[in-house]
Amino acid sequence: MKLHQVVFKDVSRRKKRVLYATIGVVIATMTVIGILTIALAGRARIYNQLEKYGANLSLVPATKSLDTGLGDLTLGSVTVGDNYIQQDSIPVIQQIADTEIRQKIKVEQAGNIATIAPQLLVQADVKGTSVILAGVDPKAEYKIKSWWQVAQGKYIDGANQAVVGSQAASLLRINVGDSIPLKGTTLTVIGILADTGSADDYRIFVPLDVAQTAFGKQGLVSTIDVRALCNACPVEIIADAINKQIPGIRAVAVKQVAASEMGMLDKINKLMLALGGVTLIVGGFGVVNTLMASVHERIKDIGIMKAVGASRKQIIVAFIYEAVVTGIIGGLIGYGAGTALAYAIGPLIFEGSTVSVVPLYLPVSILLAVLIAVLATLYPAYHATKIRIADCFRAV
Amino acid sequence: MLEINEVTKVYGEGKVIALDNVSFSIDKGEYVALMGHSGSGKSTLLNIIGGLDRLTSGRVVLDGQRLDDLEEANLVDIRRKKISYVFQQYHLLPSLTALENVLLPLTFAHNADGHERATRLLDGMGLGKRALHRPSQLSGGEQQRVAIARALISDPLLTLADEPTGNLDERTGQEILGLFDQLNREGRTIIMVTHNPEAAKRARKIIVLRDGRIVDVIVN
Repeated sequence: MKLHQVVFKDVSRRKKRVLYATIGVVIATMTVIGILTIALAGRARIYNQLEKYGANLSLVPATKSLDTGLGDLTLGSVTVGDNYIQQDSIPVIQQIADTEIRQKIKVEQAGNIATIAPQLLVQADVKGTSVILAGVDPKAEYKIKSWWQVAQGKYIDGANQAVVGSQAASLLRINVGDSIPLKGTTLTVIGILADTGSADDYRIFVPLDVAQTAFGKQGLVSTIDVRALCNACPVEIIADAINKQIPGIRAVAVKQVAASEMGMLDKINKLMLALGGVTLIVGGFGVVNTLMASVHERIKDIGIMKAVGASRKQIIVAFIYEAVVTGIIGGLIGYGAGTALAYAIGPLIFEGSTVSVVPLYLPVSILLAVLIAVLATLYPAYHATKIRIADCFRAV
Repeated sequence: MLEINEVTKVYGEGKVIALDNVSFSIDKGEYVALMGHSGSGKSTLLNIIGGLDRLTSGRVVLDGQRLDDLEEANLVDIRRKKISYVFQQYHLLPSLTALENVLLPLTFAHNADGHERATRLLDGMGLGKRALHRPSQLSGGEQQRVAIARALISDPLLTLADEPTGNLDERTGQEILGLFDQLNREGRTIIMVTHNPEAAKRARKIIVLRDGRIVDVIVN
């Protein structure tokens, strides 16, 4: 008979007591695993938000323009060069972006990878008021502006249709179904967008060719937004390539927003870990308490073992074996409870996040639980072995 | 074989003198009863002999080796090889079967054998069929037999028994005492603490203690 067999026989007889002793371990690991799982869900949620953030690249005409504004007083601007991008550069841009992405993430996916959304902005007169009319590729625009929601009616799905930003609609008293006469053609308002909190709220969106024809800007666009499909996409490289290969266009990578969002995520992670650490310490005290009681109630057994020849080391090792069992059980339960906890309160912390089971955290949970249990057992066990055998029996 | 030399044990700060300058010696194969009322110091003396408790002054020499000043690590060795105990409360581990309890000393001594010897010892005590029962499934007398078998498994020089019949009824107590008689006839050295004169008479020598001193030595 080996020492560990003695311990396992003892543990299997005292199932209830051992389970009671694991409560502290369960609480500690449950909290840590819960926090880690929630943090991971929150991270995924923020990544998701970033994906939706919009264009990764903004392409504007390479004009040399100087805004000569003075406070609220606009003095106009000095512009040198062309104010538009040639529409026929779009296929070239598409090809450059797709090539770079393919190289970076090593996919052989055919077809377009990046979404290219050109825009022609023109000043128009609607119902006697001057508004900005945006000629867009309806599909690409909707894909890039994933936060857009149609509040009334529906989104553009045919020619001579328009959707109106929420503020423009209310200022101009435009309703779904209204007609907007525009330089010879008539546009039907098919939908009104929900508030976006951006300049889009003040604009009217029409198909690109309608705007180009109406304003005599055939083959011209004002800006092009390019959105790569991934977070790790090489936007700076794409920007560089476009700047080098296509004259007259200035490509700017929209990276700052992402960087600041990531910084926030980093802070959240740190906060979560600090919270987990504190819980672990508090939980650790609970574990020390329950395991201390567990050691103490076996003072007599310790006396018996010493009386028949157990060394102090053997008794400490026996308690470590027991702590490992406690840790494994506690880690398993703590993992389950922590995941359940994350499901329960995760969505309350990161609104709209989807908590999912993280199998990787199971070994983490067990290792953590075993570590806590062993550390928390060492002191009381060490202390108990110092008690003289005669006193062990007297204590009962 | 065992020499007790001017052993004194004081509890607290000089307030309670449990043993006052006690000296005697025991030869190999002897069967000695330490007798006295409760508080006479007989159990304290047994505990000091076995290294379960520390003395205040004096010497305990077993087989030419001083025990009273041994480090804990060396005491472990003494318990594994030279001295075994039988307690009034049996002190078996409740999670282990009778057989496993008998084997426990060998577990700590890193001795994987002994299964056969343990079975033989239990058979010899009439417990062959109870070997796989746990202490809670055994009667007091049976538990004490298991404890005696455990005390013999390592073949020690000296077996110490502290009121081994104290928790048993008259008849079972007699059976256990008969067992000790038999062990002594087989050559084992036994020191038994008892407050029962009937039990003490089974020993070959009775040392009577009162208030921590030896007041009488009776040779049967």
